[in-house]
Amino acid sequence: MTDLVLAGVILFIVCLSIAKIIREKRKGVKCIGCPFAGCSKNDCSCDSLVQLK
Amino acid sequence: MKVALAGNPNSGKTTLFNAITGKIEHVGNWAGVTIEKKEGDIKKALNVTGVTMTAVDLPGAYSMSPFTSEESVTSEFVKNENPDVIINIVDATNLSRSLFFTTQLLELDIPVVVALNKSDLNKKKKTDIQVSQLSEILGCPVIETVSTSMSGNGLEKLISTVVEVKGQEQKAPFDAKNMDLSNKESVAASDKKRYEFIKEIIARVENKQIHSNRQTKQDAADRIIAHKWLGIPIFAAVMWVVFSISQTHLGPLLADVFVGWIDSFYGWVQGMLGVGASPVLSAILLDGIIGGVGAVVGFLPLIMVLFFLLALLEDCGYMARVAVVMDRFFKRVGLSGKSIIPMIIGTGCAIPGVMATRTIKNERQRRTTAMLTPFMPCGAKLPVIALFAGLFFNDAAWVGTLMYFIGIAIIILGALIVVRITGEKNKRSFFIMELPEYRFPSIKRATVSMLSRAKAFIIKASTIILLCNAIVQIMQTFNWQFQVVAEGAENTSILANIATPFAFLLIPLGFGVWQLAAAAITGFIAKENVVGTLAVVYSITNFIDTEELVLVSGGSDVAGIMGLTSVAALSYLIFNLFTPPCFAAIGAMNAEMENKKWLFGGVAFQFGMGYVASFFTYQIGTLITTGELGSGFLPGVILVTVMIGYVVTLVRKGDKIAEAKMAEAKMALSA
Repeated sequence: MTDLVLAGVILFIVCLSIAKIIREKRKGVKCIGCPFAGCSKNDCSCDSLVQLK
Repeated sequence: MKVALAGNPNSGKTTLFNAITGKIEHVGNWAGVTIEKKEGDIKKALNVTGVTMTAVDLPGAYSMSPFTSEESVTSEFVKNENPDVIINIVDATNLSRSLFFTTQLLELDIPVVVALNKSDLNKKKKTDIQVSQLSEILGCPVIETVSTSMSGNGLEKLISTVVEVKGQEQKAPFDAKNMDLSNKESVAASDKKRYEFIKEIIARVENKQIHSNRQTKQDAADRIIAHKWLGIPIFAAVMWVVFSISQTHLGPLLADVFVGWIDSFYGWVQGMLGVGASPVLSAILLDGIIGGVGAVVGFLPLIMVLFFLLALLEDCGYMARVAVVMDRFFKRVGLSGKSIIPMIIGTGCAIPGVMATRTIKNERQRRTTAMLTPFMPCGAKLPVIALFAGLFFNDAAWVGTLMYFIGIAIIILGALIVVRITGEKNKRSFFIMELPEYRFPSIKRATVSMLSRAKAFIIKASTIILLCNAIVQIMQTFNWQFQVVAEGAENTSILANIATPFAFLLIPLGFGVWQLAAAAITGFIAKENVVGTLAVVYSITNFIDTEELVLVSGGSDVAGIMGLTSVAALSYLIFNLFTPPCFAAIGAMNAEMENKKWLFGGVAFQFGMGYVASFFTYQIGTLITTGELGSGFLPGVILVTVMIGYVVTLVRKGDKIAEAKMAEAKMALSA
């Protein structure tokens, strides 16, 4: 039982990380966690640079 | 309603943009920080109309005639996207220069509101500007603003004036919009008249107590700080102080408390699991996820202190002086003076640094800068520096300082090689950079910068690094038959099998073991992974759970487990810092270089440079400290000779091209 819960916890943490990565990538963020990427699609430094190119 | 923010470089546009929108775009006390437009809605506290007002922060421009790519972004936006109102940010301390652009904006038949920014500095300098008279002459509202101030900053008045002037007609005080732009002589004559007009305005509205021909305290300071020779030791001393505070004194003190919390959390989870839980699953959660991420996050206080200090340096105007000091070296090796800006941005993160290279017009210079910018140690490499400085060099501040200077030296050497290979050694570039005034750095701005980077660090640690560490732990636990490897037989694991062939190549560098090779490989996903992977593969439970916290003391225990000498540790650090950056940065290089040959050549160069620097560090260092050469000297020296020999061949070919070009130019001249 403990192992089942433990596996669930690990799976949950991993899924949460993957979901965050997918969300950031969908925003067009080049580097996950980019400090200038927290705003929106049009005004993050990295993102807007890519779009306008 | 769309409001464009336009003005000269370093007039405070992004600071004002952040103040009216509540955004945290990167600002710097120097010209050229913004290279593309950015949008944001104006805060409701300032916008009482209820109508959505979108502010667009544009790159700095001196005129509507686009001479640089940033200026063309600004002039094209203002001309083609018809903003409802333009807020022209004018640097009050430099009114005469700013008004050239202002008078051009007033010709566009779009309502303009002048934000007379940095008004507080004028008061300190005892410069008085007759605002109402200036407004009357220009024919548009002029509002005094201090965008760096929380209260009494004039921003409410500015936004309400913007709403008032929307749709109103304004008459340009100087009108030359119907001029033939293709006729250079008429443009020059018109510009001359415009300057005379501005001179008249200045004579009427500005009363300066300090005259520009008198040497100010700032000029005297610049004679020392930006001096061509003194500037370098001063920069070294400044960086040493920064690293001393962040890595030796204040940083470890804070880290001591922080890693204590992580340690307690680790212990709490371990206690919860008890002895009944599966050892494999426990290891994945404890050593892989909590241990690996904790090892990286443990360095957060050191990094926060470092970024806070770097933000202070940038804000007070010092970084612009560093650019001037470095410019003379960069020009000599065929780089653009503008190459310094991406490299300084690259100290935060290589990706925006590489992207900033697009402001460089010359293709060869742009590609070279994109290739060399990742050699500046970025934020992701700081935990690796801090780890090795702590474990092997007693938290010495010189380690971090040395890494920055090795980065600069490699950039200069790399640029020299590239300019020779491309056969353009006879070309020189010129760069004029406006030096911002020194000012007392803003604690608020530095704190915001530090917190935004800390947030980024935590997000990265809890996503990419967490996943990598979990995968590394699994790969280390199982063999290819997916059976759990027995204790003492870790070298049969999947991870060991993958990393061992690479480890052979690293023997001449002093660290030919699969654990260190694995950490270096995961570093290409994100450099922080080097720390996380080392924690996982050596089961050091995140460098925290030793008898004494390693960030503060007792590091030698952990260093002993790794089995590295101090020289080999320095070599390993150099290898991780100066081989190619993370994949995301390589992607940015690809986008900016727009040429696969340059990209592959650049990555190969980065590998070669890191390998050669690491090889010489280990072999020479070992010879000095022990009197003998290090292991794997002979194969290493053969490999390094082949690399250097290939580069020399390319350089010779390039020199022949340069000579041919020179002869051609001479022929053309004599003809």
